[in-house]
Amino acid sequence: MMTTPTETVIEVAGLTKRYRDTVAVDDVSFAIEKDRIYGLLGRNGAGKTTVMSILTAQNFATSGDVRVFGQHPYENAKVLRRMCFVRESQRYPDDALPSHAFATARLFFPRWNQELADRLVADFQLPMRKRIKKLSRGQLSAVGVIIGIASRAEITFFDEPYLGLDAVARQIFYDRLLEDYTEAPRTVILSSHLIDEVANLIERVLVIDRGRILMNEETDAVRDRAANIVGETAAVEAFVRGREVIHRESLGHVSSVTVLGALTDDDRREVAASGLDIAPVSLQQLIVRTTQHANGEHPSTQEGALR
Amino acid sequence: MNRTLNVIRMQLVNRQTFVWMPLIILGGSFALSMLVYAMIPVDAPKYGGAAQAPLWYLLAVGIQALTMTFPFSQAMSVTRREFYLGTLLTSGLAAVLLAAIYMIGGLVEQATTGWGLNGYYFYLPWVWQAGAFGAGFFYAVMAMLLFIVGFWAATIYKRFGGTVLTIVLVSLGFLLVGLLWLAIRADMWDEIWTWVATAGVVGTTAWSLVLAAVLAGIAFLTLRRTVP
Repeated sequence: MMTTPTETVIEVAGLTKRYRDTVAVDDVSFAIEKDRIYGLLGRNGAGKTTVMSILTAQNFATSGDVRVFGQHPYENAKVLRRMCFVRESQRYPDDALPSHAFATARLFFPRWNQELADRLVADFQLPMRKRIKKLSRGQLSAVGVIIGIASRAEITFFDEPYLGLDAVARQIFYDRLLEDYTEAPRTVILSSHLIDEVANLIERVLVIDRGRILMNEETDAVRDRAANIVGETAAVEAFVRGREVIHRESLGHVSSVTVLGALTDDDRREVAASGLDIAPVSLQQLIVRTTQHANGEHPSTQEGALR
Repeated sequence: MNRTLNVIRMQLVNRQTFVWMPLIILGGSFALSMLVYAMIPVDAPKYGGAAQAPLWYLLAVGIQALTMTFPFSQAMSVTRREFYLGTLLTSGLAAVLLAAIYMIGGLVEQATTGWGLNGYYFYLPWVWQAGAFGAGFFYAVMAMLLFIVGFWAATIYKRFGGTVLTIVLVSLGFLLVGLLWLAIRADMWDEIWTWVATAGVVGTTAWSLVLAAVLAGIAFLTLRRTVP
């Protein structure tokens, strides 16, 4: 998939954000590559919004360094105008209609596409003659989503953009985002806790938990990190002995056990020989388990003796 | 620069706040004054303070210009400096427009001897002692000053919260009373009044402009680290 050399658009080094008695972001370092779609995944309060706010200079770091397009974003119009971040709890001018918000966005985002905005308004069936403060939660989310997509900003952030949107509207968002991404590539950072819903959209996974980055990897590589071994319980147990198990379920004498670590060819032959099946692990499940694992909430059971 | 000018258009999205409400208050207080003047059976010139009403409303506009529009400006990737300058330009435009209305109104009142009622809304002798432009300068600066006071208070509220704002306002109250006490003790009242009288409307207004500039400076420094 990767053919061109990667170019970094965001560099974060040792970023920490401390509030009076909590640490929202804890010494985080990562890089974001150009024209890729990232999933910023994590629980509520994990620090997703704080990170995005600091990257767009809406909020301030306690310590650490953030560079966007090689520069500091704070009070830097040259950098900021290439980014778009509509918050999940975004506030709009009191009297504003959706059309006012879009007309204003058109003034400030150099790559704004009006046709696209009009089409999205129709797709989301957004009432244009109703004040934004009177819109439903879902319609409010739609305003933010439309600004995010139609701005075509080189780095676009979506902060849990689906709140209040029904399943159909959420699918429209995913479809339109992907379509327009193909037409006008850009870097997208999408924060979400509906992990499986965005799993097919995101190319890279950035997992944040309690202010720390737990994972920054290709989505495909993450999927390969674990496997479900399914089959007769005794045979499954025999196979997983000595491996790191992160989850197990059984029904009658059939078990499904999730083991960490990529399977080797030998493993695959062993699985086949034992009459077992390998099933893919859902991204959500894997991330949930990894998060719990890192927190020691649900300690994984190491099978047998360590060799 | 272009983006700063676009902030003016962003602020004016709130047409109700910036345009209709001040005009309603102006028209309403003017009409009320005239009705009251018409009821007073005295031939002497009648003056009132109702013309202050739209100016005081600008205090509220200053607050709303920050609380409503600053978070949105951040989503539009506008820097704090662009937002600040654009917002001050917007209030400057509003102040100049309002002052122009007051100047024209005062000239009409002089020409018609108070709308035939000998009642004056725009024309107040002290304000007009330096002529129409002196009065225009006074009204424009007062409008700006009240807007900036509102904007200044709102930035402190947004950045430090309501408790800090209240403490600041109460402290300012104590400071003023303290100055008053000093003036009384030093028996300086006469000197102060003489100074105000000699400074006249233009001099006093110029000092108000200095005060407005100081508050605007503080507001900018506060806004620089404010989170939407």
